[in-house]
Amino acid sequence: MEKPRILKNGIAVTGLVIILFYIIMIIVSVFWLPFDSSAMDVKHVLESPSFKTGHLFGTDEFGRDVLSRIMKGSSVSLIISISATAFGALIGILMGIWAGFLGGRWDNFIMRIADIMFSFPSLLLAIFIMAVLGENTYNVIIAVGIVYIPQFARISRGAIISLKSNEFVRAARSNGAGDSYILFRHLLPNSMPPIIVQISLSLSVAILLESSLSFLGLGIQPPEPSWGNMLSGARKVMMIAPWTAIYPGLAIVTLVLGFNLLGDGLRDVLDPRLRNVR
Amino acid sequence: MSKEIILHIEGLRTEFQTERGVVQAVNDVSFDLHQGETLGIVGESGCGKSVTNFSILKLVQYPPGRITDGQVLYNEKNLLECSDEEIRTIRGKHIAMIFQDPLTSLNPVIKVWVQIAEALRLHQGMSKKEAKAKAIELLKLIGIPDAEQRADNYPHQFSGGMRQRVMIAMALSCNPDVLIADEPTTALDVTIQAQILEIIKNLSHGRKTSVIMITHDLGVVAEMCDAVCVMYAGRIVERASVDELFYDPKHPYSIGLLNSIPRINQDSDERLHSISGAPPDLIDLPHGCPFRPRCTQAMDICAQKSPPEFSIGGNELRTVACWLHEKEHSHG
Repeated sequence: MEKPRILKNGIAVTGLVIILFYIIMIIVSVFWLPFDSSAMDVKHVLESPSFKTGHLFGTDEFGRDVLSRIMKGSSVSLIISISATAFGALIGILMGIWAGFLGGRWDNFIMRIADIMFSFPSLLLAIFIMAVLGENTYNVIIAVGIVYIPQFARISRGAIISLKSNEFVRAARSNGAGDSYILFRHLLPNSMPPIIVQISLSLSVAILLESSLSFLGLGIQPPEPSWGNMLSGARKVMMIAPWTAIYPGLAIVTLVLGFNLLGDGLRDVLDPRLRNVR
Repeated sequence: MSKEIILHIEGLRTEFQTERGVVQAVNDVSFDLHQGETLGIVGESGCGKSVTNFSILKLVQYPPGRITDGQVLYNEKNLLECSDEEIRTIRGKHIAMIFQDPLTSLNPVIKVWVQIAEALRLHQGMSKKEAKAKAIELLKLIGIPDAEQRADNYPHQFSGGMRQRVMIAMALSCNPDVLIADEPTTALDVTIQAQILEIIKNLSHGRKTSVIMITHDLGVVAEMCDAVCVMYAGRIVERASVDELFYDPKHPYSIGLLNSIPRINQDSDERLHSISGAPPDLIDLPHGCPFRPRCTQAMDICAQKSPPEFSIGGNELRTVACWLHEKEHSHG
């Protein structure tokens, strides 16, 4: 019953297809790459895309194959975006729903912390955390995840507060339900639509954040390829070899678009109040 | 009446802290609910009917609400002194509630059968399969056609009357001893009202459930109840059997209420009767009897002292809180 409904939604399907395409790309990249992603080739530096040489997306300033590097980098991007979002969402939602549900001092305490975190621009906050933690892949996940905590906390708190005054909460209580039962069985499912939209947005923004960090040299360190540090390398040669920037840029844009479309579609599908509309 | 008392409420007081001051929503309310009896609690909006019943199950939200005094004895246990865990085992299992508005009292994203089975799963630890079978059985009992298919529906796919029936099924799922129905028909249209009342009546009689029926509709009282408490400004001003209330009301407020019912044979150009004035501000109650400012028979003493409940003819189930009836009060 679940599957047909999501497959009927054109927007969600488009997003899903794009994401699936990248997932397949990741799986393929584990076993096979057109070229070694970090093998330099001085004779073929900055070669334009062509079938003859086999460098479909051309080569970069060290003669490395751009396609291979994009494929290798896709796994880094996707894994970071998913785990950072999961990390941030889990902690943020738990903090937010308890803050909203319990109210009072606990609520005040948590939300003030969130406010403080909010007052930093997200990229600056991520840069700051990276500088403290040091540059490696796991720290990118933690940094991006921490940036997300206040966003999820605020959204889930708002949803819970607007829901908890509902009569069905009192009805559940009159049935003998306890706090956590009400919170997780009654309130959380009702607050899912905004949270899901936020998750999908976060997945895409995480890709952007990770790319930005890598672009600034704080994220994934070369020679390990990531879309961000590919762009960073391409900056110097962009004018004579635009493909070095265009293809990683396109990869970022399409994957971000994919997550956004999926999130939009999911919101329509998951909200039972929007079901049977149309 | 020699029937066993199942719920004994004494001296219940519930307050709400507001910015303007303390609202005495329930002010020294006492009543007994007997086995198998249907007790009506009538009064206008804001007189404390619902808060009284939320207080019984400690469902008053704190803050701002607080039960400051009194006891609710059920099986010799004071529910107001129960811990949260203890009272959770009472709620839904022994004392269940039907809420006023079936549109908001069901969770919109949870399937109907899951909600009906909630109490069963919480209290009897039923497996999913058993609980679903029981929920379908209950749906059939309350007259939902195609119960098997409808069980998997969400509340928005049900009509108002059907949702109220679902609420009844939820409340009755564990065979409670006491059913508190908080204006169960207010949100429904008249034909559906009759059906819902019929269902509550049949099911509670069949199961020997005692019912507290909160309402502002005297028609519902006449239809459903054995005994009635009339509430005004957080107090019980008169208690009587249904016949006594309708044929021989004592308190000026009860008389006013009964006179306010439009009669079918009334002249169409005649104005409807109403009690003049407005209910008192519960933050700043008038001195003496709270009904005095609206009472046509107010005396000097009414402004000085709040009347206690005088029992009439020595019958403690027939009382009236009005100085007019002081003399009828006998200590026999």
